Amino acid sequence: MAERVFITGMGMVTAIGDNVAGNLERLRRKESGLGFTDYINTIYKEVLPVGEVKQDNAALFRMAGIPVQAGFSRTTLLGLVAMQEALQQAGISHLQDEPTGFINASTVGGMCDTEKVYFDLINPDKSGEFIQSIHTLDCADCTQRIADTVGFTEHLATISTACSSSANALMFGARMIKAGMYQRMVCGGTEALTRFTLNGFNSLKNVDRQFCRPFDQQRTGLNLGEGAAYLVLESESYAKANNSTILAELTGYCNTNEAFHPTSPSPEGDGAYAAMKNALAMSGRTLEEVQYINVHGTATLNNDISEGRALERLFGTAVPPFSSTKPFTGHTLAAAGAIEAIYAVLAIRNNIIFPNLNFSERMEELQIVPETELKEDVIINNVISNSFGFGGNNASLVISKYEG
Amino acid sequence: MKVKCYIQGMAAISPQHTFDGDITTAPFVQTESNRLVCIEPDYKPFIPGNSLRRMTRVLRMGLTTALKCLANSGVATPGPIVTGTGKGSLQDTEKFIKEIEQYKETALNPTPFIQSTYNSVNGLIALQQNGTDYNNTFVHRGFSFENALVDSMMLLQEGASHTLTGSFEEMTEEHFYIKSRIGQWRTAPVGNTRLFEQHLPGTISGEGSAFFVLTAAQTPASKAAISGIKLLYKPSEERLSAVLQELGADADLVISGDNGDSNYARYYELLGEVLPKPAIPFKHLCGEYDTAGSFALWLAAALLDTGKIPGEWFPMVKELPGEFRKVVIYNHFFGEQHTVMVVEKVNG
Repeated sequence: MAERVFITGMGMVTAIGDNVAGNLERLRRKESGLGFTDYINTIYKEVLPVGEVKQDNAALFRMAGIPVQAGFSRTTLLGLVAMQEALQQAGISHLQDEPTGFINASTVGGMCDTEKVYFDLINPDKSGEFIQSIHTLDCADCTQRIADTVGFTEHLATISTACSSSANALMFGARMIKAGMYQRMVCGGTEALTRFTLNGFNSLKNVDRQFCRPFDQQRTGLNLGEGAAYLVLESESYAKANNSTILAELTGYCNTNEAFHPTSPSPEGDGAYAAMKNALAMSGRTLEEVQYINVHGTATLNNDISEGRALERLFGTAVPPFSSTKPFTGHTLAAAGAIEAIYAVLAIRNNIIFPNLNFSERMEELQIVPETELKEDVIINNVISNSFGFGGNNASLVISKYEG
Repeated sequence: MKVKCYIQGMAAISPQHTFDGDITTAPFVQTESNRLVCIEPDYKPFIPGNSLRRMTRVLRMGLTTALKCLANSGVATPGPIVTGTGKGSLQDTEKFIKEIEQYKETALNPTPFIQSTYNSVNGLIALQQNGTDYNNTFVHRGFSFENALVDSMMLLQEGASHTLTGSFEEMTEEHFYIKSRIGQWRTAPVGNTRLFEQHLPGTISGEGSAFFVLTAAQTPASKAAISGIKLLYKPSEERLSAVLQELGADADLVISGDNGDSNYARYYELLGEVLPKPAIPFKHLCGEYDTAGSFALWLAAALLDTGKIPGEWFPMVKELPGEFRKVVIYNHFFGEQHTVMVVEKVNG
């Protein structure tokens, strides 16, 4: 019998807070983190809203507890801030005490820094300190700098499946525990805003000039965000022997491909439907036992139709309360799955459902509407968290209350 | 991991003639530049013309290798698709960075952005083969392909009947220059047959794509078995020695990732000390790149399957072993990601 997998530590930084408690407070106060960028050099500075972490790199170095040094990209720094909190919350002071793997996720690595020096890198007439950021372009750079700073020496991996990357990182880590390879894994993702990504999504014409409006008839697209989040996963036997504080259980997950289109989901939400259905089946929970769904809900025209139809197909007329938290954080791409997994744990532990901000008009294609108010004192035992990405990559997680 | 799986079929595009024909008869390609470039096949039999026109080089290479691998394996559906790539589509990344600058962030064509996404090859394979199963892409330098292999072996253990597992990597002129700035390549041109004559700082760059259909159960068509894999991050010499000993003690052929680079030659010397056995190199065939380990696995399986080592491909090896049944592959990527794989003969 494979081990159950428990969540025993969490750390995060997003546009609405530098730690888990800060995020919860802003979620409760319904305060969005969307605004304009202070750090990206773009002509869209005052045109396209983003969910930016309002700490410059010098502040992030301080928060991560390390001296300012070359080669540490903003992606790495955001990751380190979240990692330090996750380890601290899990009570891990020496990673070597128990062999611990680290599965990270990133969509463009340190592009936020690389793009600033790229034309110098390819110019033989230029030289200087920028040469030290030569490695930041690839996705493993942030993973290894985080690993080396906090002391991971065991299994390392970086996953890049676009917007579902860190959901897949959590899944991979959980499977390694179930396969008996490790008793403890730390999984999540980190993402910094870049001119590259902003222009990428803008060229696809799916960025909203207003604050994003998931599941609203008038929605026109997403807002990008940045942040990082990591969760400590432990096997049941290790968590119990170690007397770990168990925050929640990862009871189900599924990764499936839609094989429909390189960037668009199918209108009937085949991939989303299959991912949710299979993840729920794995968890052993029934449809009626799901009290909240933290949807992918990017507010692009296609995602919300597809995901909404998948919800209606799976749950029929009894779709549980659902909301997208992207209007708080922006779409943080590789970090989104882990950030929203933490929100799922917070929903369970605090008996709350987060509101879907900026909603006013039901979509004509759907019968369902998201939760728009903070709902308190609701019993939440099981949450589905969705992350869907380019390349048809669909990932769903089921996170459940720990009940012994 | 010590779970066994079987290579049902495979395909590789590389700087050698690996895509068509048989390793025992294919001529060895000698090179004189420090950048080994893939011999690309005719893609038209594999990819419809209108799709092919939009795709950049590494997408074509990755997709075509995957399709050929499926055809060679005789499976109806790809099953789970798991890949590794260190750098994804460099061409698209470079193009989009430049177009942002050139067009001042306006009226940009999204295609290079979409294709620069690391999992775009996976998406294309799934799309063309209606592969709706599990789909994952690892992007971690010298651990990219090997993580895909670990993931695949777990999937087989969890009950999948087979997986499509592979890698794809390209080197561009621009990126070759960028990495030359930190001394990754030899400063003077070195022919691939002379790569190991003298260990000097730097190596030769390479590229390629290799795909495998892996099965949980052995079949009459199985080409080889993968019986062990270990990933070691910046290991101490003691740790590395112990793992080499553990996985390789009873191997009768060593495939070494030696790339002629004196900066990190110590680890390959250690390999020779811990496992003093018949050994062959492979980087003179494919060059150095993040997912070169996948080429080594292809080579090991091809040698085990045919039962002989073509002497022409290894002019620098004085005495080639006649018989071998168990191969251990050791490779590392610029001293950071170290990997050990064990490949065994099956079906005879």
